Amino acid sequence: MIRDEDILNVDEPELTASERLYFPILVGMRTTFRHIFKKKITVQYPEVQRTLRVENYRGVHRLNRDADGRVACVACFMCETACPAHCIHIVAGESPWEDREKYPAQFDIDELRCIYCGMCEEACPVDAIELTPEYDLVGRTREEMIFDKEKLLEVFDRTNGVKPRKNPKITGYVATGRRNGSEPPRPGAATS
Amino acid sequence: MMSLLEDQFWFSAALALVIFGAMMTAVAYCIYFERKISAWMQDRKGPNRVGPLGLLQPLADGGKFLLKEDIIPANVDKPLFVLAPAIAFGLGMIGFVVLPWGGRVDVDGDGAVDVIAQVADPGIGLLYLLGIGGLAVYAVVLGGWANNNKYAFFAAMRSTAQMLSYEIPMGLAILVIVLMTGSLRLEAIVLSQLGGGNVWNIVHHPLAFLILLTTLFAETNRTPFDLAEAEQELIGGYHTEYSALKFGLFFLGEYAHMITGSGLIVVMFLGGWHLPWVPGLRPEDVSIGAMVLKMSVLGLKIAAFLFLFMWVRWTLPRFRFDQLMRLSWKGMLPVALALVCYTTWLVYVGRATDIRWTLGGNAVLMAVVLVISGVLGSPITGRQAHMPAVRMFASRPAR
Amino acid sequence: MNHWPTLVYGLFAMGALGVYCLLPRAERSMRAAGAVLGAAALAGFLVLFARYAVSPQGSGVVFLVSGAIAIAAAVKVITHERPVYSALYFVLVVLAITPLLILQSAEFAAAALVIIYAGAILVTYVFVIMLAQQSGAAHYDRQSREPFIAVLAGFLTTAVVAAGIMELPVPAGGDPTAMGGEGPSNTEVIGRVLMADYSAALEIAGVLLLIAMIGAVVISRKRVPTEDVVESRTPGMIGREVPPY
Repeated sequence: MIRDEDILNVDEPELTASERLYFPILVGMRTTFRHIFKKKITVQYPEVQRTLRVENYRGVHRLNRDADGRVACVACFMCETACPAHCIHIVAGESPWEDREKYPAQFDIDELRCIYCGMCEEACPVDAIELTPEYDLVGRTREEMIFDKEKLLEVFDRTNGVKPRKNPKITGYVATGRRNGSEPPRPGAATS
Repeated sequence: MMSLLEDQFWFSAALALVIFGAMMTAVAYCIYFERKISAWMQDRKGPNRVGPLGLLQPLADGGKFLLKEDIIPANVDKPLFVLAPAIAFGLGMIGFVVLPWGGRVDVDGDGAVDVIAQVADPGIGLLYLLGIGGLAVYAVVLGGWANNNKYAFFAAMRSTAQMLSYEIPMGLAILVIVLMTGSLRLEAIVLSQLGGGNVWNIVHHPLAFLILLTTLFAETNRTPFDLAEAEQELIGGYHTEYSALKFGLFFLGEYAHMITGSGLIVVMFLGGWHLPWVPGLRPEDVSIGAMVLKMSVLGLKIAAFLFLFMWVRWTLPRFRFDQLMRLSWKGMLPVALALVCYTTWLVYVGRATDIRWTLGGNAVLMAVVLVISGVLGSPITGRQAHMPAVRMFASRPAR
Repeated sequence: MNHWPTLVYGLFAMGALGVYCLLPRAERSMRAAGAVLGAAALAGFLVLFARYAVSPQGSGVVFLVSGAIAIAAAVKVITHERPVYSALYFVLVVLAITPLLILQSAEFAAAALVIIYAGAILVTYVFVIMLAQQSGAAHYDRQSREPFIAVLAGFLTTAVVAAGIMELPVPAGGDPTAMGGEGPSNTEVIGRVLMADYSAALEIAGVLLLIAMIGAVVISRKRVPTEDVVESRTPGMIGREVPPY
């Protein structure tokens, strides 16, 4: 219900004598004419490229590797859950490594669906998924634009020099449960 | 060859071919310059990739127009859908024939004037241009209606009302000059502006010049009168559903109309091919070289007006529809009528070409307009007196 | 020469029959037959007048071609089922008549016809029809009311006029080269006649038009009873009252 006192009446201001005869047009024309000779701000893209703020630019994703070169992701599905565009698809597999329980057997991001919001980056508990400053993303087919795990790791290899991974420690992580043909790891043994 | 050109018919044919080719090129490069100028005014560089300085951009644009998919949507009125762009382009391309491009020419150099450098010189040259302007409405109306799209139809509606309203002050402004010159022949209007202490008509009748200029903007559907294609409201107006070459024809037609309109205003008010104090541009100079010189002078003047068109387009916002109508009917029409009446009286007393009387009358009329608009306090655009005044952001009525 | 009247009247009858068949009707359509008959009649006339095509500067050809276009378009105006197309064919008629006027050295009339008729009046027609008929043709457009009587009346009148014309000697025809010539132009003559000889009639016509215009303004400016509406909304002082602006 809109109350009358909430209505704000906005009306055109009354014009002055010169405005009525459209003299201010000349002022505008002068402004645009002067801009013809001003310095141009166009960036000639392929030759010249803008310097980006690497820290928070949101371009193509990458999947980080940990210090041992393994994929850092622990297949917790936080990013897939957080993604508003539903462009992340993870298939978890049992981790071949001792220090974690799961790893992504498959990790696909549809870069065409992605809206580059960075929610996955925020959600990730181990900072395994990050957005890189890489923005010139092209492909000939839609299939090409669905980045799988290998491709995302490649992006990491490519961009690690530009934006090193944050690499937080996985603290307090304890694998629980029984693995096939092995003893459950002792508490404290698997912390990295 | 030369002897063939001594005949007006063949000379006209050759001239028509040359100018048609020049027009096509000019129209293509108008699009290039439109993009360039808009870029410059917005501190950008504009197209510069195709060829040196981007000069081959029109070729690329043309190729794109040709090669894109030519979609005819379902449920359109197909014959009219196809007819509309053809009308737009065709009418744009036949206007130039009555423009006096280079005065009289002595082709073979025997001292006798053979031909006139004008494709056709009918006694109704001006009316011919007006008639073409009147028919140009059909392109918009049919284009807007045939494609069965509500937005396009709104555009057609607006455009019809606009073009019909602006033709009236346009005709009156032209009438002022016709009364002064006593001829509808464009060459005669040019000749009346030069030699023997005569000055360009813009000095005689600056108000008529302004009115004609404004109405030309409206007739060519350019900003600030481009309500028919208002992108923000109507998605693009009457050519919303057009693609590929059909859209290209609308596009080229608009620029062709601009060129013809600029030519008209140059001939009517700025002395056509004449420049003061420049030798070789007198009516007595009839050599081929003089003709080429005259043609380039006219071309340069037209180019200057094309720049003005673009300059205005990238400066001014669009009028609202009621403002547009008010400007025509309450603003320009009374002024133009007063001007016509005054000029008629001047013709009657035989002072129509006396600059003291024409320019003085214009000045007095301008002052009267100022006084009237001051006394009445009713602007042509903006808030009207009977609309309640409410101060912006400050009118929360007390309970 | 004696066969001329019979030939001409026969062609007229043929054309009438063709138009009669072409007129839109509810029952079985005879359009194909009508089109053939009409085209045959028109072609017959063209053959009859073909000898006039041989004339200096091809003005005869222009006359025949634009005349044929004008007649065909005029038939289309009355036989087309969709009013928009009828109006557009009317425009074509106007445009096809202009060359005829120019051939008669009446270039001012030609220009006025295009500017006023095609450029202003018919645009409004087309426009109103487009606005009024958004969904299909009405039944009175799909079916003509009195096709027989209408065709009979129309073609009898035309035939009578034609008979009168046939009595006249063949005119020398206009001089198309007069357009660029010297002397008082057609426009000038019209201006003198209108302003000097018939100035009273011109003034009366002008005043009539003015009255009509004022009347139109009065009719269209119907004042909406605004008082009640505004009063009921005063608490908020709604920014703008009801038009008219």
